[in-house]
Amino acid sequence: MTESTKYREEDLIILLRSGERPAFEYLYDNYSGALFGIIFKMINDQHLAEDVLQEAFVKIWNNFSAYDATKGRLFTWMVNLTRNLTIDTIRSKAYKKQTKIQNSDIAVSYVTNNINESERFDTLGLRNQVKLLKEDQKQIIDLAYFDGFTQEEISKKLGIPLGTVKTRMRAAISVLKKLLVSQN
Amino acid sequence: MNKEEFISSGLLELYAMGICSPEETKTVEDFLLQYPEVRAELNEIEISLEKYAQANSIHPSSSVKEKVFNEIFPDSSKLDISAPVVPITKSYSGSRFYKLVAAAVFVLLIGSLVLNYSYYEKYHEAQNGLDVALQRVEQQSKKNEAMSTDLDVVTNKFTLPVVLKGTEKSPDAVAKIFWIKNTGQVYVDPTNLPQVPAGKQYQLWAIVDGKPVDAGMIETSNGTYHIQKMKSFGKADAFAITLEKTGGSPSPTMDQMVVFSKM
Repeated sequence: MTESTKYREEDLIILLRSGERPAFEYLYDNYSGALFGIIFKMINDQHLAEDVLQEAFVKIWNNFSAYDATKGRLFTWMVNLTRNLTIDTIRSKAYKKQTKIQNSDIAVSYVTNNINESERFDTLGLRNQVKLLKEDQKQIIDLAYFDGFTQEEISKKLGIPLGTVKTRMRAAISVLKKLLVSQN
Repeated sequence: MNKEEFISSGLLELYAMGICSPEETKTVEDFLLQYPEVRAELNEIEISLEKYAQANSIHPSSSVKEKVFNEIFPDSSKLDISAPVVPITKSYSGSRFYKLVAAAVFVLLIGSLVLNYSYYEKYHEAQNGLDVALQRVEQQSKKNEAMSTDLDVVTNKFTLPVVLKGTEKSPDAVAKIFWIKNTGQVYVDPTNLPQVPAGKQYQLWAIVDGKPVDAGMIETSNGTYHIQKMKSFGKADAFAITLEKTGGSPSPTMDQMVVFSKM
């Protein structure tokens, strides 16, 4: 935690609405890693994932007026925008041409290579807490959050009824909530 | 639906993850406007997911930030173009000079073509090497997945393991059934069955109410004898495996029974 400035979400939104560059830098520095983590897990190609990240941040900036705080937090909006953009990229012709080989090893080595960079968020504690999730809890969260699966796709993949997707997701997230309660 | 039922329905979680249908989204947004408690609950869910994303964060290259900011704030990052432009006044004359330049350009072009070719070859080699490595990783991860499924079945607390013992025809044969009692799923471990003769395949049978019922074909091709999922049974009096023609038979060939066990 080297950075002393930490905005409250309401203040950050006001600054972003008025087009303040430092506010947007703050947004980038604090959330680019989290968004990139999601894009990279879906795309698994560093260069392409970085292109999508760039496009996402430009879109976040240009469409900021579309963000409605009554409908949820800023980060949720950013994630949804980013995920949709990633899904569009995956469905695009250019991407389909590439051979798509899932390779989690690349992701792992990539994470380790970059772990020494200074992190504004103290993610180490978070990373350790998240490891305590059970495999099935992690799986259902990841299918939606990192793979961009719809409810129907999750229900099919796990072989459970649609209604059960909701209750399982709630259970998994409530465990996550408890695990993270000590982490600020 | 009252607000407590709504909160415990799981819809808020799906909404926070962006996977609600349009109707569900509408429902959630109506509740959000009406009840501060619902809003507070959503806020907590969102914070958890935000931390989860932070816990899984990966740093992009620093060049991405540069590109983003150059695109958004082009004015501040543009090169200083106010510097005076100095016109090039010196000019060269004489065709000899141009001939030299042309020759040099030509030599460079040829050199570049040769280099291009050699790099292209190297690129192909590297690409092939990478493809092979990726395929190997994929095979390994498939293997891992298969093994972890094996392990899941064996360690499930509802699993009832049953050993099918060899019949007179093949006294050395053994097979194991893992019957998951709460779901009725049946898994078979064919590791210790004798090698299958060509054109034949093992078929699992469940004896239900005294009648044999087909429980599925056992995959033993490529020499892989993994634990595999068969048809599910709520109840069965016994299980048996017979050697049948590839693809299976509608009813068991009794003299080809290799293993058998009553429940």
